Parts: sequence; structure tokens; C-alpha cells
Amino acid sequence: MLSLAHIKKSFGKTEVLKDVSLSIKKGEVVVILGPSGSGKTTLLRCVDFLEKADSGTMTISGTTVDLHRAKRSEILDVRKKVAFVFQCYGLFRNKTALGNVALGLTVSRKMPKEEALKKSKEMLDWVMLSDKYDSYPSQLSGGQQQRVGIARAAVLNPDIILFDEPTSALDPELIGETLQVIKRVAKTGITMVVVTHEMQFAKEIASQVIFMEDGYIVEEGTADEVFSSPKESRTKQFLSRVLPPEYNL
Amino acid sequence: MNDFLSVSRMITAFPKLLASLSVTFEIVAIAILVGLFLGIFIAIIRMFRIPVLNQVMTVYISFMRGTPLIIQLYLVYYGLPMLVYNLFGVDINGWNKLFFIITAYALNEAAFLGEIIRGAILAVPELQTEAGYSTGMTYFQTFIHVVFPQAIRIAIPSFSTDLIGLFQGTSLAFLLGAVDVIGKARIVGNNSGHVLDTYVDAAIIFIVISVLLEFIFHKIQKRGDVVYGKLQN
Repeated sequence: MLSLAHIKKSFGKTEVLKDVSLSIKKGEVVVILGPSGSGKTTLLRCVDFLEKADSGTMTISGTTVDLHRAKRSEILDVRKKVAFVFQCYGLFRNKTALGNVALGLTVSRKMPKEEALKKSKEMLDWVMLSDKYDSYPSQLSGGQQQRVGIARAAVLNPDIILFDEPTSALDPELIGETLQVIKRVAKTGITMVVVTHEMQFAKEIASQVIFMEDGYIVEEGTADEVFSSPKESRTKQFLSRVLPPEYNL
Repeated sequence: MNDFLSVSRMITAFPKLLASLSVTFEIVAIAILVGLFLGIFIAIIRMFRIPVLNQVMTVYISFMRGTPLIIQLYLVYYGLPMLVYNLFGVDINGWNKLFFIITAYALNEAAFLGEIIRGAILAVPELQTEAGYSTGMTYFQTFIHVVFPQAIRIAIPSFSTDLIGLFQGTSLAFLLGAVDVIGKARIVGNNSGHVLDTYVDAAIIFIVISVLLEFIFHKIQKRGDVVYGKLQN
């Protein structure tokens, strides 16, 4: 349903993605692990054209686009299939929670306002924010903001949702509620790619795990394979540092 | 020396000056509206670095910000009729003085407001635009629904400073013969031989209105904080 081929991306002289290819099946929950600076976030951003890759192609729901030379209409088309959850939430500061969720529906999906508001309210209820429809982002806690961010992504009914370290900006107390909502999203069967440093969560949610380092995919496999018997020494080393000791790699 | 300032003379002159306030307001209102309109174009030209126009606007802004207002007033007053005559063969020398005065202030405002608007748009974090893209909106849709409303909020304090500055700045218009508050103060003062009275009157009018404007904008700002939520983070 989503496949990436030979993606390369440099920022100035720094090569962030060196040659990344991967393929994701419908309904999979892919967790990308790896140390900071390994290119995880850049990879996600390239998929949604928030960053323009230097080269590479992507096939999404049957359509193939060149990540470097995509036309504006192709980019818009991809963005309608992909939703993104940002590390720092990125809620529209001039819109209420309800306005944030509904804006994409009314403006980009051209849905009638009534219907959009109804759907958005349902979605906010679903992320447990029924009492926050009219709150502005500044009046919400980090965890609440991120749940609005998730609702905003999920309401668009995309083919795939990309989560870019969705809990990294949250304090420990608020991480739980956010992870709970992400798990809920995963249970709906939607295809997801999640970049995260929350190992326990990754283990629970992932069907596939990708380990990235230094602009390459070092290892990929099912969650079980990668977590309990990683093949590559670098993956082992990384996991032994971040997983609780009982894993005993 | 006891005739230095007379409250009774000040009180008599006051209504006459107040009557001329409409001229001051006319200059301010039209200059700010035209300035805003042109300023939005200047901001867009500068933000998207539209070739040629961008360079022209950069020079234009440097000129407007780098020369005294009085020179700009004279340039428009004496220069514009010549320019129009040479280009179109139309003689506009006889037109109302206020036309030239307002044009000069509007052109000056365009430069300053253009920079205020540009700065405010640039002050909206990139993440807001990216979030717009991620929900499938185009650049234009994101700009209209997300970036521009936030930019307006950001621009309000600078805009209010600019507006009050313009209001004070209109006091130069009398040099071209406008009978605004200052012009009237001069005429009434000269006739009675007591210019100080009328200038103090004018000072009171300016101070009261400036404080009032500041108060109003403060209220708008506060209201925005309640309605929109504070725009931090």
C-alpha cells in the first residue's frame, strides 16, 4: 500500500537519507526506531512532501510519484491520502479544538460544514475530549493538544497516518493518555507508521519494526523478531541500551 | 506675564480646533486604509521575492523610512503634478491640497505597514503551514485560514503604534496649508495674538485621542487573547 524506493535526502553537506527503500502493507503498524539523527523524521516528512527528497519514488495506494519531481497536483493528491501527527502538535493556534479537526474536512475535502462539525465532534469524543470542543490550543495541556492532533489526522480518513515522535514533547504523566489514543487508532486497522522512542509502546503496537541508523535501514522484521532476536549487532546494541534489562539481549 | 496662558481663551478656541479634527481624521483614515491596501501588496512582493518588483520595493521602503516626512510631503505636493503633467499631459495643480497631502501620507504608510505585515506573516511558525499542508490544504488555503489570521493578531501592537504615529505625523500637513487641528491652531492663535493657548489646546486634543487609541487597541488585544487564546508556544 505504501512503498518507497531509493530515497535520498541531504541538508547541505549532511546526507540524512542515503538510500532508503521499504514497503508497507495495508493495515500494518510500522514502528521506526533508531538513534537521533538517523533520518527517521526526515523519512516521514519526505512521504508527506513536507520535505522534498533529492531522489526516490513512492507508490501509495496504487499511484506512483517521483519524490523529487512531483507536480503540485500530485503532491496535493498524496497529502489527501496521508495524514501527519507532529511531534510538537502543530495545532492551528487560531482555531478551537473543534475548528482544528474540522478545517481539513471543510477546506480540503469540501465537506458541508454541518457534516464536518458532526464528524469532528465524534472524533473528539473518540479521543476523550468531549468537554474541550471550544478550547483553544493554548488552553489545552500537551497531552490534550496531541490528542486533538491525532483526531485532526484521523478524521480525514486517510490511507495512512504518520506519527512523528508523538509523545516526545510530553511530560511523562501525559504520555500515557496519548499512547492510549494511538493504540485506539491502531485498533481501527488503519495503516500507520510511528517514529517513537517509547519501547514498551512500540512493542505493544508494532506489527513491523524498522531500525534506522545513519540514513540507512539497518534491520527490519516483525516486532517479535527485532525485539527478541535482532540480527544486526547495531540493533542489538541500541536495544540493549533502551530496553529494560529483562530482555537480556 | 499673567497673560501668558489664559484658560478662558483656551476654552473659547477649543471648539474651533475640535471642528478641524475632522480634517485630521480624514487624512489618518484614508492614509491608513490606502496604506494597508498597498502595504499588503508590498508585503506579498517582498515575501515571494517577485523579481524586479522586489528590488523596486526594497528601494522604495528604504526611501520612505530613510527620509523625513516633510520631504516626502513636498515631493508629492510639487513633484506629483509635474510627473502627471509630463506623463499624461493633465494639469492637476489645481486639485485640492488635501489630495496631495493624503497621497503623501498613504505612500509613507504603505512602506511602514508593508514591513509590519511582512514581519507578522514571517513570525507565524513554519509548523502552522506544515500542519495545514498535512491536512490536505493548499498553500493559499493555509494562508487564508491559518497564517493570515495569526499574522493579524501578531501585527496589532505594531499597527497601533504606527497608527498613533501617523496621527501625530499629520501635524506636518499644515505646512502645505491644510486646515487640520494644527493649521487651525495656528490661524486662531495668530488672529488673537496668543498662539500658545491654541497650541496647548491642540496638545490636549492630540494627547486625549492618542491615549484613547491606545486604550482601544489594548482592548482589542485583550479581546483577541480571550477569543483566540494567547498565541504562544
